[in-house]
Amino acid sequence: MFFRMIRGTFLRQWKKLLMIALTVALGASIATAMLNVMLDVGDKINEELKTYGSNITVVPQSEAVMNKLYDVENDEAVTEYIAEEKLGELLTIFWANNITDFAPVTDTTVTLNGGDEVTLVGSWFDHHLEFTKKGTTYQRDTGIINLRSWWDVTSGKMLDEQKQSGDGYAMVGSELAAQHNISAGDKITVKGEKGSEQLVVTGIYESGDDEDKYIYTTLSAAQRLTGSTGYFKKAEVSAITSPDDELAVRAAKDPSLLSGDEYDLWYCTAYVSSICFQIQEAIPEANASAVRQIADSEGKILEKTELLMTLISIMSLIGATLGISNLVTSGVMERSQELALLKAVGATNGQITRLVLTEILSAAIVGAAAGFFMGYAFAQIIGRTVFDSAVEMSGMVAFIVAVLIIAVTLFGSIPAVRMLLRLRPSEVLHGGH
Amino acid sequence: MSLLELKDVSKVYGELHALEKANLKVDKGEWIAIMGPSGSGKSTMMNIIGCMDRPSSGQVIFDGRDITKESRKKLTEFHRDKIGLVFQQFHLINYLNAVENVMVAQYYHSMPDEKEALEALERVGLKDRARHLPSQLSGGEQQRVCIARALINSPELILADEPTGNLDEANENIVLDIFRQLHKEGTSLIVVTHDPEVGEVAQRIVRLDHGKIISDKKNESFSEGE
Ligand SMILES: Nc1ncnc2c1ncn2[C@@H]1O[C@H](COP(=O)(O)OP(=O)(O)O)[C@@H](O)[C@H]1O
Ligand SMILES: [Mg+2]
Repeated sequence: MFFRMIRGTFLRQWKKLLMIALTVALGASIATAMLNVMLDVGDKINEELKTYGSNITVVPQSEAVMNKLYDVENDEAVTEYIAEEKLGELLTIFWANNITDFAPVTDTTVTLNGGDEVTLVGSWFDHHLEFTKKGTTYQRDTGIINLRSWWDVTSGKMLDEQKQSGDGYAMVGSELAAQHNISAGDKITVKGEKGSEQLVVTGIYESGDDEDKYIYTTLSAAQRLTGSTGYFKKAEVSAITSPDDELAVRAAKDPSLLSGDEYDLWYCTAYVSSICFQIQEAIPEANASAVRQIADSEGKILEKTELLMTLISIMSLIGATLGISNLVTSGVMERSQELALLKAVGATNGQITRLVLTEILSAAIVGAAAGFFMGYAFAQIIGRTVFDSAVEMSGMVAFIVAVLIIAVTLFGSIPAVRMLLRLRPSEVLHGGH
Repeated sequence: MSLLELKDVSKVYGELHALEKANLKVDKGEWIAIMGPSGSGKSTMMNIIGCMDRPSSGQVIFDGRDITKESRKKLTEFHRDKIGLVFQQFHLINYLNAVENVMVAQYYHSMPDEKEALEALERVGLKDRARHLPSQLSGGEQQRVCIARALINSPELILADEPTGNLDEANENIVLDIFRQLHKEGTSLIVVTHDPEVGEVAQRIVRLDHGKIISDKKNESFSEGE
């Protein structure tokens, strides 16, 4: 009977219910799209920002010169090294607190298990650094654990320098691991130009870029393989910087052309150029340069974009609530006589409310399902056109959207339900005489 | 024993006394006509008896219980179990066919039972129209479906507000015949009407004017069956 009555409503009020379904679909699709984009692309953008999170690279002077002159990169012939102990100087500069992380990097080509040649990178993972200068001891835990925060350790664990004694450990990129069937806990042998090492694989990481083909190990292991103990090739530095302005642009060309006041202002502002300048002051044999002016401002844009998306989602849900409220109320109004009649033949308020809500919720569920897939399609379009990245379907989004839609539908039905409770059969049914 | 008793029942709408200190006793199995001009408070009285409205003051004793004190939900249950309603406008659900309309009342009472619903339609002479939608039925037929719906849960009392108000004479007679039949079976009937012909067939006639009962008499011309 219940079913017959609901079917009756569906046949008769199908236009209204279709409108409810469409309203819900619209709200659900926007919420789904925005949430998916926020959760997925948001992460990816953040990762991308952090990829360049090392926004300053420090290389030996001569290499910088050679690279500039001959446009060569990582050519062993011109490679020189910087002393590892010098990196501690970074803790002493004026902008030390703006430097969030840094790590030395030495990369080289090794033969893996006597077979293929692969790239091996040695670095600090969670290195505990202590540096004493003029009687002051500076301390910092730093390394690529923070500089590669987007790494997804798919099996095993992140290499932990402080917990794992010795340095016979490595992490392997997911592509390389798949190619060579390496899993966490395996032992690999790598042979470099100055020796070979047996390394235990602590974990497999997914980076989403070329590093998926690399082996990451401790700096000391890489130093032994390349015969450069106590030295590194390059350092990655991540610093919080102020966005560049006209002064920064002029200073970047040549700080010595600035007037005294300008120089002071520049020096005491966290421009990427002034931080680079101070790094070079602290490590004269190094050349520090900005990788890309980023992070802070782009991070803010991302935050603002997310805020905007959240607002759009909220607005669309409010819109859906109002739309539903309107549709449901007018639907109940149209049917007031029928509903009053049901009361007159003995239906309780609860039973009638249930009947009406079942109709609305079934329409809403159909709409939500359609909206979810529409939203997923939207998310793909947004992802591809705006962020240039596919968007993964998230189960959590489905759950959140389902909860939101039920809330929106029930919330939107409140005025109609109140009207329904107030509906008095005596008034409606005797009306007109 | 009396089925129903109104004690000093009043209903006030703002300044307007739609019903003023009405006293009425209805015995089990009695057939009463409530008559009076338009606006005299007939429907108001019927709504109060039918548990669809509460009086402003006074008591309504139904089967020994004061129903003015019951909760809304209890009132709905009470009305569902004891009272069958028939209205002037036929008030059927227009997307359900005749038998389904009868079954709605069963559904909210207990369990829909199609066989029983068909029997009820048979009693009002509509067995062969059971699958018709209200729009495919004549006014008289629709009113008979309403009566079948009112009967379906075997109420102790049938309340009919102007049941023949929208019917032609032939249909009016069919409806009155059904009432006679019900009366014979022992169902109590309260029929609101301003049509003297409909009033004449009842056992007792109560007259209302301006919200007051102005007369309450046995109908001398009442005859048990034709
Ligand atoms: N809900 C209401 N609000 C205000 N006045 C009402 C309401 N219902 C009925 N009335 C008034 O109460 C009086 C009695 O109405 P009613 O009982 O419907 O009369 P009848 O059925 O005898 O024509 C009328 O004057 C009517 O206008
Ligand atoms: Mg009336």
